[in-house]
Amino acid sequence: MSPDILDESCVIWFGPQHVSAHGWAAKLTLVGDYIVECDPNAGYFHRSAEKCLEFRNFRQGSMILERICMMEAFLGEYPYIAAVEKIADLEVPERAKIMRTIMMEFNRIHSYQFWFGQFAGELGLFAMLLWPWVDREYSLDAFEQLTGSRHTVSYATPGGVKYDFTPKFLSKMDIALSRCRNRMPLFDDMLAGSPTFRLRAEGVGQYTAKQALKWGLSGPNIKACGIPMDLRKDDPDPNLAYDMIDWEVPTIHNEDHPGECDAFDRLHQRFKEIETSLDIIEKLLPLLPEGPIIDPKARGKANRLPEGEGYGRVEGARGITTVWLKTMEKAQTPWRAKIRGPCFASYYSLKHIVPGARFADFPAIFGSLDPYPGWWDR
Amino acid sequence: MVGSLGGYDMQFDFFTWFGGLWDWIYGILLWFWAIIKWLGIWILDIIDGIWILASIPENFMFLFRAIIMPGLIFLLLALIFTIWFTRKIWARIQDRRGPTHLGKYGGYQLFADAIKLMGKEIIIPDKAKAWLYRILPSLLLVIVLIPFAFIPWDPYWNIMGPPGAAYGDLSVSLVLVFALLTAVPVFSLLIGWVTGSKYSLIGGFRAANNQFAAEIPMVISSVGPAMLAGSLSLFSIVAAQTSIWYIVLLPINFATFMVASIASVGTFPFDAPVADSEIIFGWRTELSGIYFTVIYFAEFAEQMLYSALMVSLFLGGFNGLPFLPGIVNFIIKWLVVYFIFTVVTSSFYRLRQDQIVHLCWKYLIPLSILNVVLVMFAMAYLPWLVPLVVGG
Repeated sequence: MSPDILDESCVIWFGPQHVSAHGWAAKLTLVGDYIVECDPNAGYFHRSAEKCLEFRNFRQGSMILERICMMEAFLGEYPYIAAVEKIADLEVPERAKIMRTIMMEFNRIHSYQFWFGQFAGELGLFAMLLWPWVDREYSLDAFEQLTGSRHTVSYATPGGVKYDFTPKFLSKMDIALSRCRNRMPLFDDMLAGSPTFRLRAEGVGQYTAKQALKWGLSGPNIKACGIPMDLRKDDPDPNLAYDMIDWEVPTIHNEDHPGECDAFDRLHQRFKEIETSLDIIEKLLPLLPEGPIIDPKARGKANRLPEGEGYGRVEGARGITTVWLKTMEKAQTPWRAKIRGPCFASYYSLKHIVPGARFADFPAIFGSLDPYPGWWDR
Repeated sequence: MVGSLGGYDMQFDFFTWFGGLWDWIYGILLWFWAIIKWLGIWILDIIDGIWILASIPENFMFLFRAIIMPGLIFLLLALIFTIWFTRKIWARIQDRRGPTHLGKYGGYQLFADAIKLMGKEIIIPDKAKAWLYRILPSLLLVIVLIPFAFIPWDPYWNIMGPPGAAYGDLSVSLVLVFALLTAVPVFSLLIGWVTGSKYSLIGGFRAANNQFAAEIPMVISSVGPAMLAGSLSLFSIVAAQTSIWYIVLLPINFATFMVASIASVGTFPFDAPVADSEIIFGWRTELSGIYFTVIYFAEFAEQMLYSALMVSLFLGGFNGLPFLPGIVNFIIKWLVVYFIFTVVTSSFYRLRQDQIVHLCWKYLIPLSILNVVLVMFAMAYLPWLVPLVVGG
């Protein structure tokens, strides 16, 4: 850009008190209605989760993790459990593996239900903000029935899970999932079928698969470009049940712009993700065997861990979520914990995606990338 | 003693001076009393004059209509009802219940909200022009309320009355209403400008852009009724619809007028001026307390006004069921139109500013012209239609 354009520019802060930028702030340089420069800033949401982890024992640590992003609480807490299980070399019973996986997919569905509402609200339709959130209430009711907590479920524990599935929970989950399944055509109609939504989302915030790989995007944001990059398939966790069943990694291949994705494709990708999750739960439920939900010796083993390093990672609702733990001999707490959230990449990719867009398209772009500040500030 | 006073002995007699002081104070008091008396007589004269004017029956009835029914008090009550009605419809569409607690079906919720808003601290930003900040919201409300004087509620019981009466409708009242409504986005732009925030400045320009886009299709859509009735007076347009409501001949113009009026108000699908996910609350961002309340009322009053205009231009105004009073007919249709208006406002995603201009200029203007031209041909080639259209 030539300097004389910047003479007429206007710098505007999008956050941290902005209503749709809760916990982050991007400095936008506007020329007329166009954004010529976007400078995302981190640091408004820092709660020193990594340091907190050093003062929690191995059964408490996951509860810090799930407070980072409330919408995908179980997906956020699982990498910690996986890392602890790798260090302590714990065996997880078959039943617990399947229950963890079901809960994980259920949590993913809940996270996307929340996201639909948020995205529609950012594009200005308040009805569509509240409709998915009503469905979300049913999911939360099921979580509450199982664990006693609506968001922060704390379901997994090193060596298994904490609570067994009850008939009441199964019926509540069935209600929540069937409601989700029945309302998907309606939401498809309200989002993808709405002409005004297509006007706002199509051709907005485009990037290619190559750029997405370069910026380190993951999860739905990269699958929308047509790259079937999914940890559930690529590196199935031995303590989860993804390799027990057949399922397809959902990707988008758009005829108009192959190898690229815009905000509309990213929405479509998340619809497909919900369908895949429903499919996985449906296939896993009949496989649920009888048996214990936790190895009785695991509880003792998780009290003091041997020296070692553990690295747990999981395909979260927003992308790859990992936790790295380093323990000393007979450790009660980790010596060092490192969290790698999925949203740092999607937040800082705004710097490259946003310039050239109209100011009014900015909510559509960041909404479709779904950055959550907890994941980069921790 | 010899001095500069020419041998004249100047002596200050304190007691003489002190004795005269009372006269002097008394004189000042008299002088003040005269001023007060003059002011009192002046005010009494004005009241007297007003009373003389008001005691003439036509004038008294005009004042009664302008202040009580269907004037200010009626409008205030209608506004309270409208806000409750809007909130209920929005809530039902959004799978909520809306206000429920205060009064029957939450009818008193608005009072609670208004009291809460008025009780809030008024924060005027440092960079704002304080006196403009204080005066512009009320001016906006006044500008929105004035056009209600020209709405023909009833064949006889209007604020301005039928054209032949003492305070008759103007022959160009439709033009005057549009002229007043054009000033509304100017106030939005000014409020956005003087409140000293970039968000509100952007919102102000977006409000101006909305009006820029929506005004032309709106005026062209209202050309149809004016042409059919052969008059620019709202009362005459309504009076001409005794046989056919113009929506029968001008259905596309009704739709284009409705879309253009939603865009002009700047509510939901066209709420780029106050888009909360982009520019917080647009040109209203920095308004607080009573100023925000006034703006909030003005927005709903504008929606009511556009619904009333649609009823008068296309739905026959006070014409309708013959056994009902004209105003009841009007209000029934008004509620129906307002309901449609509100459902439309809660069913679409927010359009970008350039998309608003595209929609209004590429689709609404040709459609509205098309309908007007079609009706012109119908008038020319179907002579039996003419007596039905001009009324009587």
